[in-house]
Amino acid sequence: MGGPAVSTVDTRVKLGGIALRNPVLTASGTFGYGAEFAPFFDLARIGGIVAKSITLEPRQGNRPPRIAETPAGMLNAIGLENVGVDAFITEKLPALAAGVVVVASVFETEIDRYAEVCKRLSGVPRVAGLEINASCPHVKSGGIEFGQRAEVLAQLVRATRRATSAPLLVKLSPNVTDIREMARVCEGEGADGLSLVNTLQALDIDIETRRPVLSNVLGGLSGPAIRPVALRMVWQASQAVRIPICGIGGIMNAEDAIKFLICGATAVQVGTANYLNPLAALEVAEGIEAHARRHGVARVADLVGTIEVPAR
Amino acid sequence: MKESAQLALPLRVDAEVRENRAEGGSNFRLRLAVAGWPGAEPGRFVMLSPGARGAALRFDPLLPRPMAVYRTLGVAAPPEIEVLYKVAGRGTRLLAETHAGDRVRVVGPLGVPFAMPVAGRCALLVGGGTGIASLYELAARAAQRGPVVVMLGARSEAELMGCDDFAALGVELRIATEDGSRGHRGRVTELLEAALDAGAGGEAIYACGPTPMMRRAAEIAALRGRSCQVSLENRMACGFGVCLGCAVPRADGSIALVCRDGPVFEAGQVAWAGLP
Repeated sequence: MGGPAVSTVDTRVKLGGIALRNPVLTASGTFGYGAEFAPFFDLARIGGIVAKSITLEPRQGNRPPRIAETPAGMLNAIGLENVGVDAFITEKLPALAAGVVVVASVFETEIDRYAEVCKRLSGVPRVAGLEINASCPHVKSGGIEFGQRAEVLAQLVRATRRATSAPLLVKLSPNVTDIREMARVCEGEGADGLSLVNTLQALDIDIETRRPVLSNVLGGLSGPAIRPVALRMVWQASQAVRIPICGIGGIMNAEDAIKFLICGATAVQVGTANYLNPLAALEVAEGIEAHARRHGVARVADLVGTIEVPAR
Repeated sequence: MKESAQLALPLRVDAEVRENRAEGGSNFRLRLAVAGWPGAEPGRFVMLSPGARGAALRFDPLLPRPMAVYRTLGVAAPPEIEVLYKVAGRGTRLLAETHAGDRVRVVGPLGVPFAMPVAGRCALLVGGGTGIASLYELAARAAQRGPVVVMLGARSEAELMGCDDFAALGVELRIATEDGSRGHRGRVTELLEAALDAGAGGEAIYACGPTPMMRRAAEIAALRGRSCQVSLENRMACGFGVCLGCAVPRADGSIALVCRDGPVFEAGQVAWAGLP
């Protein structure tokens, strides 16, 4: 697609009512509350950041070991350690420079509590939108249940939708039989957009001790290892719903991100790559723009959903 | 540890390997040219991505490895840093295969440094294995403030590293090897006990090495009512406080991140039995 190279590219996209200067955000849990990356680059140069998931009260998280390396990936079971919604609003948000687009990520163990966190975040000037973490696979008391059962997911989206008029994204779990069903449920309950995928539930073992490598036993698999799975799910979901999709899963560079756009994602989130390369999100944003320029694509949004599937 | 002074901010740079030399046993010394390197306060570390060749990063193994900055060679342009490491797994094996001219991704300097000894007081530095890598810059700076005794330990003479470097600082060097092939036969922490019992009191104690060694040093210090700074190791994915993977329990039950709250800790604040 595209024609001769263009000199300027319009990189702006709109994700469920959130205006982004370019389609690259950072995935929740991989970017702290943003300030940790300020020494490396100007955060206003990427589309936005999705902050670490916050709960009503502060949480301490799991005992170590919390992470392990796997082939082209990693396992984590952090346990959603976070400062709680109030400290997020009063301490973490003000630490970010004006012009940084912040999406708050919300996690809780009960639907009422999810709704309460959403209420407290509504109307906070620095919060551009909310992302409901319906899929965290490693806290025993919650997370996975919400995203894995369509009727529970529907209740969750309904309750959080009622609690806020802010742009509402729902982050889906990949640990389901049919991602299209979950996507349709969210759309039907009024979600403004979808983020997918969260980590794949996984396990690894130390054969000397015969013990799981993580204290939590199960963990979430992320990194390049999951990218083709994530891409498949984004493509399937994009065919099932009309609301925009934010593609996530093992994006290491601009080429990976462009695949998600082609498969129907309006924007992407860079996750695990932030750990090994604190400049990853910026480089992905710049690389997408350069790709569009080379390929004569005047608007990055024109790349979205341009997958060409040969007749079979 | 608290440090009121402003620390050098980290950078990410693809450094060029100048030399990667075997140093006996499975020990290596890696020298990297790091453009823009701001220097590192004693005890700080870098994340190194092993196996990155040319411009392309390698994604398997995925994660960078935390390594103490052994020393900065500031006279070179660009500045050079040295890292001492032992081949222990996939990542360090790949690192051992890099040659002069290869690129290695560096993120750093990271972490909280050692608190310097009070001027005029004696500093006792205890290093085991590659743990000595955290102590060289400390020894160099402490030597400008007062007497320094460096105690280095290893299984055998062949696995000792850095003795000549430390000796060249003009500090007092004491060696222990478990097989007795050089210096005191036994553990390096026995040298610490002897030094404390013979000393005038008031010495600042620092330890870095395998966890059992640091734990023993902490006990020796605590038995004498003395504080001791240790530098912990842990798995970590990022090194700058976002993956939350390097959590360790504190003695008070709270959680600390080795990368952000350490790697240097006051030994009494560490819940030693809970370390991974």
